[in-house]
Amino acid sequence: MSTRDEQPLPGAGALISARGLRKSYGRTEALRGASLDLHEGEILAVTGASGSGKSTLLHCLSGIVRPDEGTVTYGGEELGGLPEGRLSELRRRDFGVVFQFGQLIPELTALDNVALPLLLAGTRRGEANERAGEWLERFGVRGQADLRPGGMSGGQSQRVALARALVTGPRAVFADEPTGALDTLAGEQVMTALVHTARESATAVLLITHDAQVAAYADREVGLRDGAVHSGSAQAAGQEAVRREG
Amino acid sequence: MYSGYSRRMSTRHVLLGLLAAGPTHGYDLKQQHDARFPQARPLAYGQVYTTLQRLVRDGLAAVEGTDSDGGPERTLYRSTDEGSGELARWAEEITAPAPFVTNEIFAKVVVSILVAAAGTRTAPEGRKPDAAAHLRAQRAAHMERMRELTALKTAPGADLSTVLSADYALAHLDADVRWMTTTSARIDTLTAEVNAI
Amino acid sequence: MKADIRIAWTLARGSERREWWRISLTLLGALLATGFALAAVTIAAVPGQVSIPYAHGLLDQPGQRAGVVLTLVLLLIPVLGFLGQCARIGAVHRHRRTAGMRLAGASPAQMRRIAAAESGFACLAGSTAGSAAFAVLLAVTGHAPRPVAWTGFAAVVVAVPLVAALVSVFALRHVVASPLDHVRTTGPDRGRRAVLGFMLAAALIATAGLLTLFPASLGFTPFALLVLGLVVFSGAGAIWTAGAFAAFVGRRLTLRAKSPAVLIAASRLAHDPWAAARTHAALLLVTVVGVGFVGVRGVLLETLSVGYRPVDLAFYTTGIDLAGSAVLVALAISLCGLAVGTAESLATRRRGLAAQAAAGVPHRVLAKAALLETALPLAPALLLAGTGGTVVYLVYATIAGTGAPLLPLLVPVAVYAACVLAAATSLPLLRRVAHPAELRFT
Repeated sequence: MSTRDEQPLPGAGALISARGLRKSYGRTEALRGASLDLHEGEILAVTGASGSGKSTLLHCLSGIVRPDEGTVTYGGEELGGLPEGRLSELRRRDFGVVFQFGQLIPELTALDNVALPLLLAGTRRGEANERAGEWLERFGVRGQADLRPGGMSGGQSQRVALARALVTGPRAVFADEPTGALDTLAGEQVMTALVHTARESATAVLLITHDAQVAAYADREVGLRDGAVHSGSAQAAGQEAVRREG
Repeated sequence: MYSGYSRRMSTRHVLLGLLAAGPTHGYDLKQQHDARFPQARPLAYGQVYTTLQRLVRDGLAAVEGTDSDGGPERTLYRSTDEGSGELARWAEEITAPAPFVTNEIFAKVVVSILVAAAGTRTAPEGRKPDAAAHLRAQRAAHMERMRELTALKTAPGADLSTVLSADYALAHLDADVRWMTTTSARIDTLTAEVNAI
Repeated sequence: MKADIRIAWTLARGSERREWWRISLTLLGALLATGFALAAVTIAAVPGQVSIPYAHGLLDQPGQRAGVVLTLVLLLIPVLGFLGQCARIGAVHRHRRTAGMRLAGASPAQMRRIAAAESGFACLAGSTAGSAAFAVLLAVTGHAPRPVAWTGFAAVVVAVPLVAALVSVFALRHVVASPLDHVRTTGPDRGRRAVLGFMLAAALIATAGLLTLFPASLGFTPFALLVLGLVVFSGAGAIWTAGAFAAFVGRRLTLRAKSPAVLIAASRLAHDPWAAARTHAALLLVTVVGVGFVGVRGVLLETLSVGYRPVDLAFYTTGIDLAGSAVLVALAISLCGLAVGTAESLATRRRGLAAQAAAGVPHRVLAKAALLETALPLAPALLLAGTGGTVVYLVYATIAGTGAPLLPLLVPVAVYAACVLAAATSLPLLRRVAHPAELRFT
């Protein structure tokens, strides 16, 4: 079960592959040699207690933070060696990120928030708004298009955040406790929306959670303890799980 | 095995409730029961007929007549006034919040610790039960079942009954998982405590 | 670039009231800067000996005009300090917003362009308004500047927003690097700027010393360099003292505080000792200049009163009073900066303050803590700034061979009182911010 000692090669067929990640913040070691594969189109839950390094792992995999040691490979590129501009482009085009709360820009309406990644990529305003509107519709928040984040409920703003993460048609979505600030029913709506869309568009999802009910939406689960993977394997048979759902 | 309601739940009262809609025969009652409680253990025909006979004996239900519908002859049952009264009383009664929970997992963990301690004293060779590994394996099994239930309830077109009964089971499994997580984190302290007694 | 400007505009449109405060105050600062710069350009462009019917003939001769131009240019320093203070309004919030944009995939270069567009446009509005007002003033006085002055005007109108845009890009340099919301208010600062100030002062004084070794160049230059060096030296010293004293007092008082207000203020100081130094930098410099100026004025008037006709004396007193009003304007601008800084500090911490109020800390204690936070580190810094200014005018008095006036010693006291008053202007804001109901909205 344990992969702490071995350092397998980057998994074949993995979309994103992390090997031997180490990251410290001051004297706190957040990651101590974590390895993980996220496969094309799979939904992977990463679970663990508070302070086990879950969020740091997500930050390293999505290119938000550079690890002190170890490699993150995506599409044949090593993220650690990429310039900041290229990482921004990856976050804009290939990745989507959803946090527990607060990732929406308070000055922008729901529609503008969702259109933002498109505008940053140089899409025309009209087209960006149209596509953003479609995504709001899909997540059942079309009616909130003109509201700013301050005027929406937690569940609504999380669904807007999901729309923003998915609007560019990313290959991977990184979700850090996306339902952490929501009640059960709102959380269920957010998770159902995320899982359905991800399956439809074969988007891979890395789902960070401490909640077993949320982890159950995933195809497989990897447990983190003290900054390393301790249960579920790095590479595991994620592919079958994907096929099971079709 | 987790089901939509516990094994102790009164099949009598559920059948009485189904009869409240009007006279029905045993086969239909079984079908209706399984449709309304999709996550529950399906009723056996034998159990349906024994229960109906007991209801008639106690005066809570009565035989309405028979029909054959071209096939074999079937008995129609209906609820009596006493049956309606009993049903109302049961439906209003507060369900006792599980005073004694049988916790098989906890029993296995404690026994594993005891056996492991005994094993080191007598026979150091051989396979020793490992409480921590047991908890991990049990958690994996729970998670697998939870994934199944989640897939069931998020499948397109799942009706609300399915969703709600899956939710009930999920919440109970989740409670087990939480308990296993905290127990795993404190297994060393538990081992010391168990071996000290 | 067009897309970036559009995003900047959309952001500005959705901004909350505080952001509009920042934009308005920035606009005001840009307006002041433009006004001073345009006035300097106009006076500098006047050729040779002329007769200007203002200020008792002070503007008639090229040499005195140069002095006036220098004063106007020096007035830009407190204005810049004020603009810097305005840039801090809502800084924490904007940092967070920037991080959010980076998370959505904005590149560092895009964020710089958006930030530059935001403040550039606010300042362009300010400089346009400033030049319009100045044009009206020119029309009223009937002065027609030479063509070369018009080139200068155009340069000023363009330069003010350009500099503002560059400054805001510089202020954002740490945030654009990280998409996670890591806002560090302390850290890189640590009084490094004060050390730079010391080095500059040492260089100035050393140059002055070297120049006195070559009698050929002896004249006004070494003395001016010496004065400038002393001013910079005591300014830097005062800023450093403010920071170091805040750190020291913060640590000591946190352990020993007997009243809750002192405890709260002391822990805040210990947490971020250089915040005070940053806020008060311009003010301390103005105090050094102010004390020195009042002293020099006293000495000068005493020397002049012997053997000058009243008409000639009026010429000198007008010059001195004009310089004096420049110092007063600088002081006023710095005090505005202090008030804005205190208000901003309260607004930034409103969640914490509301939580304290909700936990039962009386309003009185919070208000006292807010005032102490300004008053504690300012006392020794002003003392040092005052000493620096006193040395400047004592040197002058020794050279002139007169007695030293005592009036300048009141200046630091007056400035101190004004500072506490300026900080007190934010107390009504505290009352609104530190309300438990604020927890609901922040």
